[in-house]
Amino acid sequence: MISIQREDVDISRLVQEAKHPGAGAILVFDGIVRNDDITEMELEAYEGVALRELEHIAMEASAQHGLLSVDIVHRIGRLRVGENILVIVVSAAHRKEAYDGSRFILEAIKEKVPIWKKELRTGGDRWVAGESKNH
Amino acid sequence: MSVRIRFFARFRELADPEIVTEVREGTSITALIYAVTENNQAARDAIFDQEGGFRRYVILMQNGARIETTRAGETMVADGDEIAIFPPVAGG
Repeated sequence: MISIQREDVDISRLVQEAKHPGAGAILVFDGIVRNDDITEMELEAYEGVALRELEHIAMEASAQHGLLSVDIVHRIGRLRVGENILVIVVSAAHRKEAYDGSRFILEAIKEKVPIWKKELRTGGDRWVAGESKNH
Repeated sequence: MSVRIRFFARFRELADPEIVTEVREGTSITALIYAVTENNQAARDAIFDQEGGFRRYVILMQNGARIETTRAGETMVADGDEIAIFPPVAGG
């Protein structure tokens, strides 16, 4: 499942579905809204392009790290502290491939996928600085 | 011919989420964005430097494909194009 969506995600269902016969490791990354004195976080995406990028990253990660399955769910809209922002579930035969593949996906998302976060604060809102490079 | 310009994140707040406009054949991406920000100094200042070049953090796409800002002046738009302009991404 590769998705950009407003609604929350059922992580336990993704884990259950990631239990392929050859899998020896399932790794879940759950990025959540941190309480940095914010009231909420607002996420925005260039949806068509972002979804295509996520699909490309999933394929690249599978090919490079031998993943058996990849699920990426990135949420958009207004989220409260503690809510899920990004869920990545990967399965692989061994832990190393699972850890490496999950990390690869996370870093690629931060660098390439057109999604932006804005922290909503009582003292004034602030866009989160991006990590991507314009080159 | 008609093209659509989409602004995201901070640029969306300064301009409109999207602008559909008519342009003449032979219009570059740079000229297009410069023209649509003509009456919006805040957006123009956020996107262009004092020499009229794109600021270093600006990212451009033409129909979903990245266009280097240094090449945008020689990249022409075509009828039906979607041009997107945004600051560095910050997902995850």
